[in-house]
Amino acid sequence: MNEIELSNPAKLPETPKRSIGEWVKSNLFSNIPNTVLTIVFGFLALYSIKGLLGFILSGERRWAAVATNMRLLMAQGYPANQFIRVWFTLGCLMVLTGISLAIWRSNGVLKIKRIGTWVLNLGLGAAIFASLAPVSANARGGWLIATAVLLLLGYFLKIGSDKSMLPDDVPTVWFSFGCLAVLVLSLWTVPYGHYAFTDGELIAESGRTVAMSTKLPFTVMLLLLIGAFMLAEVARGLVHIPKAKIVLSSLWLLSPFVLNWIVLRDPDFDYGRVFSTDIPIGLLFIGFGFLVLYPLTNPSIGEKGRLVAIALLMFAAFNWIAAFFGLYPMLQKVRISFLLLALAALLAPNFAADNRTRLRFISFWAGFIIVLHWLITAINSPSTLDLQGPTYLGGFSLTLFVAVLTLLLSFPLGVLLALGRTSSMPIARVLCTVYIESVRGVPLITILFFFSNILPLFLPAGMEIAELAAIVTGYTLFSAAYLAENVRGGLQSVMRGQYEAADAIGLTTSQRTGFIVIPQALRVSIPPLVGQAIGVFKETSLVAIVGAFDILRIAAYVVPAQTEFLGVKREGLLLISVIYFAVAFSMSKYSQKLEERVGLGER
Amino acid sequence: MTHKSKLIKLLAVLFAFTLVAAACGDDDGGDSSASSSDEVTLTAEGGSLLETVQERGTLNCGVSGAAVAFSTLDPSGNMVGFDADFCRAVAAAVLGDAEAVNFVALTAAERFTAVQSGDIDVLMRNTTWTQSRDTDVGMDFGPTTYYDGQQLMGKASDGFSGSSTVADLDGATICTNAGTTTEKNIGDAAEAAGITINLQTYEDFDIVTDNFISGACDVVTTDGSALVGRKAQQQPEGEEWVIFPGAPISKEPLGPTYGQNDSQWADVVNWTVYATIIASEKGINSSNASSVVGNDSFDAEAQRLMGGEGELQSLMGLSADAFQQVISQVGNYDEIYSRNLNPVGLTRDGSSNAGWEDGGLIYAPPAR
Repeated sequence: MNEIELSNPAKLPETPKRSIGEWVKSNLFSNIPNTVLTIVFGFLALYSIKGLLGFILSGERRWAAVATNMRLLMAQGYPANQFIRVWFTLGCLMVLTGISLAIWRSNGVLKIKRIGTWVLNLGLGAAIFASLAPVSANARGGWLIATAVLLLLGYFLKIGSDKSMLPDDVPTVWFSFGCLAVLVLSLWTVPYGHYAFTDGELIAESGRTVAMSTKLPFTVMLLLLIGAFMLAEVARGLVHIPKAKIVLSSLWLLSPFVLNWIVLRDPDFDYGRVFSTDIPIGLLFIGFGFLVLYPLTNPSIGEKGRLVAIALLMFAAFNWIAAFFGLYPMLQKVRISFLLLALAALLAPNFAADNRTRLRFISFWAGFIIVLHWLITAINSPSTLDLQGPTYLGGFSLTLFVAVLTLLLSFPLGVLLALGRTSSMPIARVLCTVYIESVRGVPLITILFFFSNILPLFLPAGMEIAELAAIVTGYTLFSAAYLAENVRGGLQSVMRGQYEAADAIGLTTSQRTGFIVIPQALRVSIPPLVGQAIGVFKETSLVAIVGAFDILRIAAYVVPAQTEFLGVKREGLLLISVIYFAVAFSMSKYSQKLEERVGLGER
Repeated sequence: MTHKSKLIKLLAVLFAFTLVAAACGDDDGGDSSASSSDEVTLTAEGGSLLETVQERGTLNCGVSGAAVAFSTLDPSGNMVGFDADFCRAVAAAVLGDAEAVNFVALTAAERFTAVQSGDIDVLMRNTTWTQSRDTDVGMDFGPTTYYDGQQLMGKASDGFSGSSTVADLDGATICTNAGTTTEKNIGDAAEAAGITINLQTYEDFDIVTDNFISGACDVVTTDGSALVGRKAQQQPEGEEWVIFPGAPISKEPLGPTYGQNDSQWADVVNWTVYATIIASEKGINSSNASSVVGNDSFDAEAQRLMGGEGELQSLMGLSADAFQQVISQVGNYDEIYSRNLNPVGLTRDGSSNAGWEDGGLIYAPPAR
């Protein structure tokens, strides 16, 4: 009881209020060394800011190189007349985000006072800009006015909420929507990318529009986000929330695959083939899955079922090995499905229960096969788009694609590897250890190069691996090994007593692992896992080594090679470092939130 | 007992399904991707890449993607440049459509693997033709489309002029990008001239140029084409950069590269290049290419090349008007050169890349 009361912030002793002067005195100028440090680093900070501003606003900078190439940086050679697909993708994500915000009831609130502090900080930033930036007197005046407005607004917000002229807080969601709306509105009024700075003066450049072509789509995106949120708020009372959460989670999981391979790539289905081959094979596997899985989930068969599963697994493995010698010409899809069926059969005895559970397990298999076969067919079909290059994605979209897919795929693989390495079964343990150690011993560049260039030489006739698929596969295998070690750290932190307690109440090994061990292990592993996620995101730039055009390669090598912008490199690099920072910083912030929510570091 | 019989039934079903699946696979002749792996083996097994490319409908062409004026991405993501245009020329000859090119951007490390593995049909990635590459790595080289050579660039204010030589570099700080043969070439040249130089290498040539501008480097060196581009785009006002010596310190012939021992494909690529050169000599360009056949002001050779009487393109496995498509869709050699290389300050006149009639090295065998 005591603990619960303690964790309630309302009951915690209040921090004594201090004025700004007191805070500065006790934190920055408390003693002589501290004072010296404050002054030295204050000057250093101001000096660096001045240098940075001078760099950004210098007449030598050619920001037109970035503005003109914004499309290249974001989507590389994606056909302009098909850009609607990009917007459709973004729209889908916006709708999903809106609905998820409502369903997961993100009812956090922001104190007006806190917003006031932010605005004051912004005002401070504007003041620094106004005093240090090498701009003309007029511009400096403008910045001073902005400073004054921001400071006044911040002060008003702080005082207003103190004197209860304003509400205490606003919902975080609506505050975020408001900020986004301001950004989008600014697209309509400020022609970003229209300007170049020359000797501190703003010079309008004609024909260099960036924002002008995207303001309408971005407005639609914002409206979609807000609309979806409001609709879902209304619908919230009408649906079964846990079910809605499951549906939404699966949609999120599916979205990278569907949006990339179906929407963005637009497969050109050969319908004759789809009806003559693809659908029958899919149906065959659903039926076959029923024939295998239904008996295997029968509780009376029990562990003996695994023998069948192992036979199936050996057969599936034989198919793959035979393929390497070109023995069994067979659809790739069939090989993959066999392997998955074997794995499902291996799991089946764990789902042995009443008929309803068994049928649910099998319907899950059927749904899985439908989605998988559909995706494989889509990936194997040629794209209808008139694309320049082997990868239909490039620039920032490629960076995101590789990072998201790699994280999504390497997470389950990493958890499995970690479990395998800590398992008591010697073969699993040795295999997993060998895998993890050997993959960790090889640089990522080598793995990417192998998967992209060397592997196709070894593949037999009838097997081919697309450039992007090769990159994601290699990167996933690499990242999973590191992830496994992070998760293993978490696994080791789970106390022996937890295992014993789980055994004592009669949980099976898989139940113990799934319900007791993994949740606790993952909770502890959040900080290293997020660190790894950030690493994966940033290291996607290594895909340039195998010829893909990620955002770094475009900024560092492609734009400076254009005749018009020869050698213009720093501008692009600065821009993408801001982009990288923004994404990595949001991930880190999110992890802090997550840690708070699961109560990490409180015990 | 019942369990056992169930298990046996299961195994029977499994066996039956295997047979069905295998039969399916056999009917079907394998994956939808089977055709592409045939491409890989075709070159080795005698059939020509030409038929494969025509069947596929697109040409896989390897380029750099970041070579100034040779192959770069423009702001809307199109591959443009001298090399990219020769990719288009081959596509126009083989497929009749200059835009049917699948550009594969390759790093220097990847390019030879890509040719060997059949990932690309032809490599246009300013690759220098050398004896070792021709013999070692399973590739053949086509006719040189651009004669490049390593040169040096200094500032006129430092006393350099167009007639300076390597011997004038004694004690100078010379900068270049690391990991290329330029490093070795300048070292050899300095040794031959009996001078000592201070050689500094940087990650890439953008950084080298920045150091040259700031004065950290007295002289920079790389291929002449790149130096001309840098001078045209980055020479500050009031400063004079000069490129010397007149005769480059190395030979860098650049041209198309393709898989070894495929004579038919080699002929097609080579004669596409020759056709642009001959067209240039005969005054055939993108605007008049379609009206050459039957026009008496053009000679018999021009008529043949454009698909008129006695044409030889059909014998090569191309359509009769293949080279007419090349010239009308992409242009002749002079057009390709001027379009891409003039903007960076590279002119044909007086260089090695002038036509042989004008004292240059660009020469094509006769079309007869």
